[in-house]
Amino acid sequence: MRKAEDTEVSISGRHPSWDNSIRPPFHPSHKGPPMTAFTPRTPDTLRIADDDLRAALEGRRHLLFDGGMGTMLQAAGLEAGALPELLNLSEPDAITAVHAAYVAVGSEVVTTNTFGANAHKLGDAATVEEVFDAAVRCARASGARYVAGDIGPLGALMRPMGTLSFDEAYDLFAQQVRAAATAGVDLFVIETMTDLAEIRAAVLAAKENSDLPIFATMTFEEDGRTFLGTSPEVAAITLDALGADVVGINCSLGPAELRPLAARMLAVTEKPVMVQANAGLPHVEDGRTVYDIDPTAYAAAVRGMVDDGVGIIGGCCGTNPDYIRLLADIVRNRTPQQRSVEPAFTVTSAQRAVVLPCSEQRIAVIGERINPTGKKRLQAALRAGDLDYVVGQGISQQEQGADILDVNVGMPELDEVALLPRMCEQLQASTVLPLQIDSTDPAAIEAAVRRYAGRAIINSVNGKRESLDAILPIAAHYGANVIGLTLDEDGIPETAEARVAIARRIVNEAARYGIGPERILIDCLVMTASTNQQQALGILRAVSACREHLGVKCALGVSNISFGLPARELMNATFLAAAFGAGLDAPIMNPGSARYMDVVHSFRVLNAEDEGSAAYIERYAGWGDPYKVPIAGGDAAATAAAGTGGGAPALDEGGDPIRRLILSGRKGEMKAATEQLLATTDPLELINSRFIPALDEVGVLFDQGTYFLPQLMASAEAARVGFDTIRAHMPAGSIAGKGPICLATVKGDIHDIGKNIVKMLLDNYGYTVFDLGRDVDPQEILDTVRARGVRLVGLSALMTTTVKSMEETIALLHAEAPDVKVLVGGAVLTPEYAARIGADFYAKDAAEAARIAEEVFEA
Amino acid sequence: MESSPNIDGATVPAPLAAPVLYRPEPAERPRINRAEMLRYLGYTGQDVNEELSARIERIAAELERSVSPRGVRRVFPVDARARDAAGEPCIRLAGTTVELVGRDAFRHLKDASYCAMLACTLGMESERRLRTLGGQNPLDATILDAACSAYVEAAVGAMDSAVKRAASDLGLASNWRFSCGYGDCPLDAQDAIVAALDATRLIGLTVTPSHLLLPSKSVTALIGLFEGDAHAADMRPTCATCRMRSTCAFRARGTTCYAQG
Repeated sequence: MRKAEDTEVSISGRHPSWDNSIRPPFHPSHKGPPMTAFTPRTPDTLRIADDDLRAALEGRRHLLFDGGMGTMLQAAGLEAGALPELLNLSEPDAITAVHAAYVAVGSEVVTTNTFGANAHKLGDAATVEEVFDAAVRCARASGARYVAGDIGPLGALMRPMGTLSFDEAYDLFAQQVRAAATAGVDLFVIETMTDLAEIRAAVLAAKENSDLPIFATMTFEEDGRTFLGTSPEVAAITLDALGADVVGINCSLGPAELRPLAARMLAVTEKPVMVQANAGLPHVEDGRTVYDIDPTAYAAAVRGMVDDGVGIIGGCCGTNPDYIRLLADIVRNRTPQQRSVEPAFTVTSAQRAVVLPCSEQRIAVIGERINPTGKKRLQAALRAGDLDYVVGQGISQQEQGADILDVNVGMPELDEVALLPRMCEQLQASTVLPLQIDSTDPAAIEAAVRRYAGRAIINSVNGKRESLDAILPIAAHYGANVIGLTLDEDGIPETAEARVAIARRIVNEAARYGIGPERILIDCLVMTASTNQQQALGILRAVSACREHLGVKCALGVSNISFGLPARELMNATFLAAAFGAGLDAPIMNPGSARYMDVVHSFRVLNAEDEGSAAYIERYAGWGDPYKVPIAGGDAAATAAAGTGGGAPALDEGGDPIRRLILSGRKGEMKAATEQLLATTDPLELINSRFIPALDEVGVLFDQGTYFLPQLMASAEAARVGFDTIRAHMPAGSIAGKGPICLATVKGDIHDIGKNIVKMLLDNYGYTVFDLGRDVDPQEILDTVRARGVRLVGLSALMTTTVKSMEETIALLHAEAPDVKVLVGGAVLTPEYAARIGADFYAKDAAEAARIAEEVFEA
Repeated sequence: MESSPNIDGATVPAPLAAPVLYRPEPAERPRINRAEMLRYLGYTGQDVNEELSARIERIAAELERSVSPRGVRRVFPVDARARDAAGEPCIRLAGTTVELVGRDAFRHLKDASYCAMLACTLGMESERRLRTLGGQNPLDATILDAACSAYVEAAVGAMDSAVKRAASDLGLASNWRFSCGYGDCPLDAQDAIVAALDATRLIGLTVTPSHLLLPSKSVTALIGLFEGDAHAADMRPTCATCRMRSTCAFRARGTTCYAQG
């Protein structure tokens, strides 16, 4: 019986909405009532081969791995680019010989020759199970003490940049994990990963499909980041939190270059740190292939890392038994130095870590703008599936100085379980900030936290039994942080003491799940001063008490304080400053308010976070104090942005300003000009008699070659500012859209520039555009057509090879939605080709696409 | 295991046998050819106002400042006696799994002794920026797309020059850069090219299931190296081998996608 099954809380049993096809539950026996005890992952919950391996996992003993496998195989004649994993089947003796050579020089762990043994890479060549079975037999035959099941990258890039989904990646890794466990490995080494999302999927697959130790290492470049931008700190924090038992670094660089990167990992995790460096690149010397770093220099650099605290060592590309022999000398009769890491609240994205040490107060601003409550434009965007708008809200908060983004997409008519992870994925493509996943639905929280590439914050748990039972297991399983709200079955208490009492209950309950106070942000819940004036300072006393007595950090949604009062920003800023004084760590606020951010920047000086006041001085040295300097109005800014005009058509300064600004593509003055005309002109009249003719004229100029593409687009941008200005002046919904159009780059194709240009123009002509992005499944297009009543679908394909997929999409649409018209475009298409694949229209460029849309919707 | 031509230099001259990384220091980064970038944007001499010109220049300069191209190249012996699955002559690169089918690749490499294989990418940061701008600011995204295309072209040009110099030092002549997708050479070969160069590990280059390179601003190319006169060394990639020639927007405007002269 596997020990972990007895002790871990069954997550899957708690949420019936959980799709078991996504995550084969590791706890099949726990479909019954939830258990009350929870044991966090420790050596006690794992199946560990023997006491020495256990000592290594506990940091009490060094462990020596082997060196490069590919190097040895290529030296023996393996073709570049061939699958070395197949040799386990075809030439098992040769593979065993490589393992045995490492065992002979002292390697305690040999790594199976299964780096690329996943279903994606193997294809039809062999099954994953066959390869692992053979590979483990080869490794065991070497007489090695421990056999590590090797899992490398899948060889396909994951979403949002690539095309592979988290769940697909998870399934591929889970298959490897089960195959390796069945074949009898002692541990997993997940290595050479550059994508934090991918290594998370692999670690989770190992954790949920076996009870063996997990060693997880990533590969960093000279700039100290992986190819996808992850730093050593982010890797160590995130993988440690998720459940890797050893974290580390392998490949890419030599040991001297990796030493500082390993030191950065050692500073943020108490788990053993492992390094397997390269021996540099090969070159030919006297007819022999040698690597840049010789064994002696290599070992000397590794010794430095061991001195720093690295516990587990081995080699990667270019290393051979000559190198490992010298590494064995380093760790013989030596025990790793004991390390301790200063406790801290840590939250990460794939590209950034926010670290708030427990011993001091540091400010992290949590941007609150991605939350549809009370925001009509955001609600409309979410309803229309316009995630670009939401991403724009994230980008602007990042630019305004937020450190973390709260993400809430809760609206009654939306499927939050599907939307929340998708929203997080899109935000991660375009922002670098860690995310705080905010929902009242535990299933939506788990769906997002599970797939989130980083260590998230969950917003939120509260003192109600139901909430504690639903949320804390999720935080525990995924290593996430959690916001604890000081409310319970009796509501929000009035006194500071009662709030602290609820916080204490949350902290105690969290401890039972292995969640320490350093992972908790308590939110003492601000009440408005207009009705609960007596509580205002009491809340701040509760903040101080929670920090002092419970060892937690505190968050606060600041702006509630001013509800019902005038000059809300003034009140909020004052309260924010007072809250900082009381110990607030993480205000949940709008970073778009310069006033709040002024408080944040100035408090960071008082708090000695902004060392030498450097950032403050840089920001405010030339600042115009708004109490003393009249604030420049919009008009001044607008006139300053005026360009020089130009362009072919004569643009008389005295003529129609709308035509002039659209034709010259000057968006800076557009708002003021539109507002001026709105004072005297009917908005629809303005659109139909000024905007549309100007856009048509631009289309003609583009057709004639008088304008080139950027000019066409600059004109569209200027028009867009005008349309937005008009819309802002009109009651919502009073300008009827011309009709819904769906756009997509077809399945298999990743080029979307052309499609985005078409979208920009169609937007301007007043169509409601549903942009499904790139690499879009035909079925998703059909679903959108049906759900949104779409009459025209625009498909883009740039490659000859993906036109096939365009043809399939058209066939599906014509069969299932015969009324819908399909417009196609893309570099390789011609009118004849378009007709042959069944398209109703072909547009050679965006301007023509707009004219075709006109034709379709006027018909 | 049977021995085949490999890095130990059985057939490739030792100075060319090892993989070579291209990682220019900031000062050595290639410069984006502005004229080429404008050509990608469809520019044929239009009168552009200062505001737009400044915007285009700002995006190009920022790209040069913040993104560094990376590449890897390696030389393999050419085997032109091979036959593909259909029994047609094809090119194999010895010591790799690369097989190039079709007449155009065959013509390019049949007389070459070696093939220099190149891969170059602007990396995931360029991909991220293109994605982000695509949803937020289509004009900037379009300009950046053209800037990235010109930038990766400049980078692969620098790699091309370096390998030609190295070959020339050994008395080898070179022809021009040929890529999958030219003429009748299918894209399928990208997978083997990226694998043979170990380009996923060395420069972060991946291939999608539809055989497109990701990051999308990436190039792989094949240059023939010849003992004696380079076959077709004086030939440029022209519209004649381009499958887009019938629909090409550049040709419609009376220009080409590559610099002439």
